[in-house]
Amino acid sequence: MTGHQLENPDKYVGQSVRTLEGRAPIVGAARYTNDFNFLDQLHAVIVRSTHASARIRSIDVSGALKVAGVVRVLDGREVAEHLAPITHYIDPAVFGGKSAEVRCVAVDDVWCYGQPVAVVVATDRKIARHAASRIQVSYDAVEPVLEIADAIKPGARVVVPGWDNNIMMQAPFKNGDPDGAFERAAHVVKTVVDIHRFSTQPIETRCYNAVWEHDTESVTLYATAQNPHPLRHVLSQVLGMPENKIRVHAPVIGGAFGMKMHGHPEEALMCLLAKLTGLPVKWTETREECLLIGAREQRHEVELALDSEGTVLALRDRYFANVGAPSACPGWGMAFLTGLTMPGPYKVRDIDVQMNVVITNKPSWNAARGYGKESTAIALELALDEAARQLGFDPVELRLRNFIPATAFPYPGPTGLVYDSGDYAGAVRKACDAIDYAGWKAKQAEGPRDGKYIGIGVAYELTPEGGALPGTMVAGYDSSSVRVAPDGSVRVLTGVTTPGTGNPTGIAQIVADELGVPLSSIEVTQGDTTTCPYGFGNYSGRSTIVGGGSAALAAREVRAKVMKVAAGLLGVDEAAVALDRGVFSLKSAPSRTLAFKDVCYAAYTRAYDVADCITLPLEATATFKPPSIRHSPDANGRINPYPSYSNAAYVAICEVDIETGKTELLKFAVAHDCGRVINPVLVEGQACGAISFGVGGSMFEAINFDASGRQLTRSFVDYVMPRSEDMPEVRMVHHDSPNPDTYMGLKGAGEAGVGGSAAAVVNAINNALMPIGASLNALPLSAPRVWEAIQTARKSNQAKLRAA
Amino acid sequence: MSLYPSFARPTSLAQASELLAGLSTGTVIIAGGQELMPHINQGFLQPDVYVDVGGLKELKGIAEVDSRIAIGALTVHRELQSDLLVRAQLPLLAESVSRAGGGRQVHNRGTIGGNIVAMHPLYDVVPALLALQAEVEIIRDGQLRCVALADLIRDTSHGLGSEAILVRVLVAPIPAGTGWAYRKLKLSGGAYGSANAAALATVDAGRISALRLVIGAVADRHIDASAELAFCIGQTWSDDLGEQVEARCASMVKQPLSDQQGSGEWRQAMAGVVARRTLAAALAQAE
Repeated sequence: MTGHQLENPDKYVGQSVRTLEGRAPIVGAARYTNDFNFLDQLHAVIVRSTHASARIRSIDVSGALKVAGVVRVLDGREVAEHLAPITHYIDPAVFGGKSAEVRCVAVDDVWCYGQPVAVVVATDRKIARHAASRIQVSYDAVEPVLEIADAIKPGARVVVPGWDNNIMMQAPFKNGDPDGAFERAAHVVKTVVDIHRFSTQPIETRCYNAVWEHDTESVTLYATAQNPHPLRHVLSQVLGMPENKIRVHAPVIGGAFGMKMHGHPEEALMCLLAKLTGLPVKWTETREECLLIGAREQRHEVELALDSEGTVLALRDRYFANVGAPSACPGWGMAFLTGLTMPGPYKVRDIDVQMNVVITNKPSWNAARGYGKESTAIALELALDEAARQLGFDPVELRLRNFIPATAFPYPGPTGLVYDSGDYAGAVRKACDAIDYAGWKAKQAEGPRDGKYIGIGVAYELTPEGGALPGTMVAGYDSSSVRVAPDGSVRVLTGVTTPGTGNPTGIAQIVADELGVPLSSIEVTQGDTTTCPYGFGNYSGRSTIVGGGSAALAAREVRAKVMKVAAGLLGVDEAAVALDRGVFSLKSAPSRTLAFKDVCYAAYTRAYDVADCITLPLEATATFKPPSIRHSPDANGRINPYPSYSNAAYVAICEVDIETGKTELLKFAVAHDCGRVINPVLVEGQACGAISFGVGGSMFEAINFDASGRQLTRSFVDYVMPRSEDMPEVRMVHHDSPNPDTYMGLKGAGEAGVGGSAAAVVNAINNALMPIGASLNALPLSAPRVWEAIQTARKSNQAKLRAA
Repeated sequence: MSLYPSFARPTSLAQASELLAGLSTGTVIIAGGQELMPHINQGFLQPDVYVDVGGLKELKGIAEVDSRIAIGALTVHRELQSDLLVRAQLPLLAESVSRAGGGRQVHNRGTIGGNIVAMHPLYDVVPALLALQAEVEIIRDGQLRCVALADLIRDTSHGLGSEAILVRVLVAPIPAGTGWAYRKLKLSGGAYGSANAAALATVDAGRISALRLVIGAVADRHIDASAELAFCIGQTWSDDLGEQVEARCASMVKQPLSDQQGSGEWRQAMAGVVARRTLAAALAQAE
């Protein structure tokens, strides 16, 4: 970690202030959803399918009903009498794909392992669990469709009844004349990149507690929800209740990473159970259930056309995403973003990329940090390194030759995206300097020591953030209210929420500077549909861009009001008054001061004299709507759904033990551009978190199934995430290009890094294996798989020797 | 199984043994809880009766008894890592215990008794104890007896954990001049081991004069390779000998574990690699 240069030490923005909301979780005082318990609290446990694909012959719940303490048992048919299908977060039909009907609890057929088939409600969670074990479900198993190849082969069994095949959506991202470019290319390099199924695992699993409010005949849902207002809309559709009869309250969240975006069956189901029983009903996800939520599984068939100098002339990529069974969650959209983000930071314009979203009998995806853009980076960066290896280019030189130049911004990409700003070549050079790239190359040239081979890997990631998809609740704008009380204390209410990343502190820093008050006088409230302005919550690295931007605009309005009152009290013109950290002063006579709180009190109590000139109360609500998002299609039918293009260069140094296949990461460097930095320590925390995601995904974490489609990865014994001892020292340098289209030049900082760091690790391992002639473009590069690749290469080397 | 189990906390070993003799199936003995509680929390196990042996002083403490080190079954991992007697006389044990997973909280609660009784092939303590030819004292129906650890864990019929109580572990100190080593290969910091080995060796005039080597985490049961490697006695350590050791040890793994932490083929190969490295390290240390 490196220190960050302060632009203005008098401002809060730019400083590593400690998070306002950070203390409570550390001392155990934070109230997570599962900490809310109400009088006569009931607990629900869900019975899940033990088959990947089956017809339900019968469900016998009589054994469960005999257990003392059981209040209610519902199967899928009974649930379907009360609940409509779940409204899709992003309906594929809006984008030309196929829409499946997704029920909260399976009716007649199950289409993945772990799908809910019944629910038990009891006075105690243990009783509910015991009763659930006494429910007998009889299945007629059907041969499941699990892998992409099985799903797309002619005559494959169709997973969703009524569909003609298993392709949920197909979309081209095409520009220029790729075929012509391939014809005239000096080299064509084909790389098949397999990205396996891995997910995100927040410490806090999902939890929903629904309370039936008898007095108003309404429901309150305490929920681990990233997007309370949009969830309220979905609940109203599924429950058949107006939105003003539903309150969603999202308390402190212990990590989300996209997994707590909604569309999950348990959300509406708990509301229904609360309504039917008239009592509060809670469901808390087990780790085993949390691991059922998949993501990222993609296969890319990448072709690069290059000239003899190493300029990439054209890109072809046919890719397939195994999104599992249909779901109302927004996970499948990740696959769309993978194509839209092509060709990342590279200036190649002749592209032919084809997306195929494939439905199988694996459990469904939900959104996962990176939202498909990590897969773009992994596919492109592995393909570039494959080209560098085959053609003998230096990986860094190859990238420098192909980056979009810093002078080309705003840059209209070939898929419709308009990149706001960046200096990709500069970032790569900075990252290489930070890690001493040349020094490591020299060390590598000395050869292996004790069977340990040094590898150096470079990768780049472009991360469009703050996205808006037309016709969906993925909105680009958001709103905040700033309220100043008569005592001068400030409450900021935002439509954005936090998954625990610290954006309330960033927003408070912005408001403190805009309003001219001390940071300590600000409280930020988020995540409650009855108190906060309508908003879209957190996703896509948006909360500081639009939450901070809108809070700044609202703070300016309130400041204008208090300035008028202060001027009136001082008997001068507004222009003659200064306000800093809660103290008004006369510019001409700085010793003449007024306290912020006294001015606020005067504003509220002297509405007919000094405050006659303003509209009371001292409150304002404002919206920030990034102007660069464009939803009206251009001549080619393309839109620009993103206002912000964070980007970063990653360099990994590793050492591979060729006897065991085990990799040790020695050093890591990142040069990071998230635009203007509000709070460096928060940005660096985000970057380090994302890098550990990339390290885990590239080497350890994997969700596995047996041949019948039963999930084998069911606990942290098998889903092993990196620990501190697995993480190398991370050297981070900022390389910020301010975004011209957002408040203060902000870009997203929450999502970037998973793909870039994963690709850097893979490239480093393959670089280490070069002397052996082994390489592996199928993740994860775990020790056993690297070892197998080494054995294969050795056998092939021996065969070549014998043949010679 | 019961939703409302009973809990007993006997105050003497005799009382505990008597209590267990009178209880039927569905009883579990609990000490540190590091093996048991995750199973209960996940719903795999719903005991009727918990017999908490945490208060039995007969199961506590580390002492030198008749020229052996007697380690109470309740001794936690953390104590084994830091105890001066263990560090001085049984450094192989101290080292292997320090490599156990789970972090400090687990090390502070997990007991040596629980580790042995779990009979988990991936755990760290047993390979070292087998290399050291440890004996254990167990009590069943009031009868205290002493058996070789290797004999005890040959199968699961020992009743430890529900009918019998492990009381003490008895180990002879490592003689001066004997080299020792413990090596563990795991995929990442949070993973269980994929192969481990504990070795003891002596060298006489540059030639191997004695060795013990036990391999763990590659098969259902630990593999004592000491007899198989008898051909090394009288030889000088070399790359060539190392390759032979590696091949012999790998070939002893008849049915390798195959799980999400590695295929059987890799596990089998790693048994050889880790065994060779461990023996080499022990020899390098022998005087």
